[in-house]
Amino acid sequence: MLFPTSGFLLFFLVVAAAMTLLERRFAAQKAVLVIASYYFYAQWDWRFCFLLAFSSTVSYAAGRLIGATTDRDRRRLVLGIAIALHLGLLGTFKYLDFFVLSANELARLLGLQHELPFFEVLLPVGISFFTFHGISYIVDVYRGDVAVCRNPLDLALYMSFFPQLIAGPIVRAAYFLPQLARRSAEPIPIAPALLLILGGLFKKVVIANYLAIGLVDPVFAAPTSYGAPDLLFAVYGYAVQIYCDFSAYSDIAIGVAALLGFRFPANFNQPYRAERLREFWQRWHISLSTWLRDYLYKPLGGNRHGKLKAYRNLMVTMLLGGIWHGAGWKFVAWGALHGGGLALERLFEPWLAHHSRHKATRVIATVVVFHFVCLGWIFFRAEDFEVAWLYIAGFGSGWSEGLHQAGPFMVALIAIGMAGQFTSAALFERAAAVLGRVPSWGLGATAGIAVAAINALGPEGVAPFIYFRF
Amino acid sequence: MTVEDIPPATTGSLGAAPSADAIPARLRRSGGSPRQVFRVTLVGTLVLAMLASRDLVTWTERLGDSRALEAVQSLAAEWDGMMAKLGLVRPHEELRLAIRRLLDWEWPGGDD
Repeated sequence: MLFPTSGFLLFFLVVAAAMTLLERRFAAQKAVLVIASYYFYAQWDWRFCFLLAFSSTVSYAAGRLIGATTDRDRRRLVLGIAIALHLGLLGTFKYLDFFVLSANELARLLGLQHELPFFEVLLPVGISFFTFHGISYIVDVYRGDVAVCRNPLDLALYMSFFPQLIAGPIVRAAYFLPQLARRSAEPIPIAPALLLILGGLFKKVVIANYLAIGLVDPVFAAPTSYGAPDLLFAVYGYAVQIYCDFSAYSDIAIGVAALLGFRFPANFNQPYRAERLREFWQRWHISLSTWLRDYLYKPLGGNRHGKLKAYRNLMVTMLLGGIWHGAGWKFVAWGALHGGGLALERLFEPWLAHHSRHKATRVIATVVVFHFVCLGWIFFRAEDFEVAWLYIAGFGSGWSEGLHQAGPFMVALIAIGMAGQFTSAALFERAAAVLGRVPSWGLGATAGIAVAAINALGPEGVAPFIYFRF
Repeated sequence: MTVEDIPPATTGSLGAAPSADAIPARLRRSGGSPRQVFRVTLVGTLVLAMLASRDLVTWTERLGDSRALEAVQSLAAEWDGMMAKLGLVRPHEELRLAIRRLLDWEWPGGDD
């Protein structure tokens, strides 16, 4: 069940009706949300629900066991087993065939005859996200950052809450579980939530989908058939597409959660305006980058043990961050590129700081960082390594050819997507304030008209969100 | 990841959790109740059903072909006919036409 569909709208209508009927019974509301979340997940494949339930049970039991003892070794043992179970599940479903393929290729290189069989395991949508939720909870309990969750219903809701279940944002236990302890006394921010949802729908249905169909997909499918200008604009197009696609999912998830009375953290903050690669990662998929920082980079030692180890830790974190996105060497290359870029940036930090005082140099820095990120997107989007290299090689010639695939409409969509990176946050707040004064029936009518317009503007059918496959 | 120096606004006051709410606190001071959320959703759905009745038909057709669904599909078709008579499908069709023109838009001299 995709967000921008009539099916989801009806599903949400039923959930909203149940929330209204159970307005004074918070525990019943939470139970309804768990049932609704499992129903939502079952729309992909009902068998996946068992995985989600297993992951939730492991997290709940581990939390209780860690909380029940002060024995450090025992706590460590439980933590280790629980993390191994989570990663084992993720590894089996997401990486098993990748490892088999890599092992077979290595065996071929070494001249060995034996080949391991492929398992062709079906990848459950959202498995990376709920695995990270589970690990976040047990590590936070172990560290004492969050209280042990004694109510299995609360933990089940934390793990399965449908707005973030499939593609995040990755909400930490310490952030979400306290919201389940008691009903929020705050009013529901209907106007800002609707604005986020409508903005997200526009980004996904109109900008991301048209860029994918009209420019990115055809050019990446056969890069050698296009001249350098088309190749360049297709990368820009993909940069805007993936931003509009993924941030749209986050915005809709945040808006839907807000309408149900829950707060989510910000996940994107105009990433392409970053002047440094480091800043890019502070603005892009914030919930994943902070997760990797707190559960991987820092435990590895962070930057506490000298420069060389900091570079190593950066590289390891980014490589694993790359692999998290998918089982493939192209994701490893993408992670390595970012890890190397971050390490280099750290190495030249004094020089960069000295030269970033003027506005002109800051503009140049933004342009350089954007193009570095675009280089990474080529590996990320290309079918495989070979296509990525062909794509990059295409920039070596054919500059005299005009834009063919990148027509004016595609360029306009890229311009709109990029313009959104530089608009003021005050604009959103002003619009939310204006909408906030409209009565609820007027808000509903406005939202209905806006969704109808977005629906009419978008292409037929709805493509799944890019991050579903991660 | 070098988000170690992440701005204070997004670092945790809740243990290790990043706590920058996506909807800032100043926008959460006013709002509504679950009842109002339901009302907004219901009105929005009805308006959408009126203005996008063409897609309602396609959507019901995609649901399958059981007997109960056939009834739903014919209801959707009737509803779409009613909306067409009232002229409510016009904006949808005009927007589709406009976007098609934009998609066909070419650079000057593009046919050369």
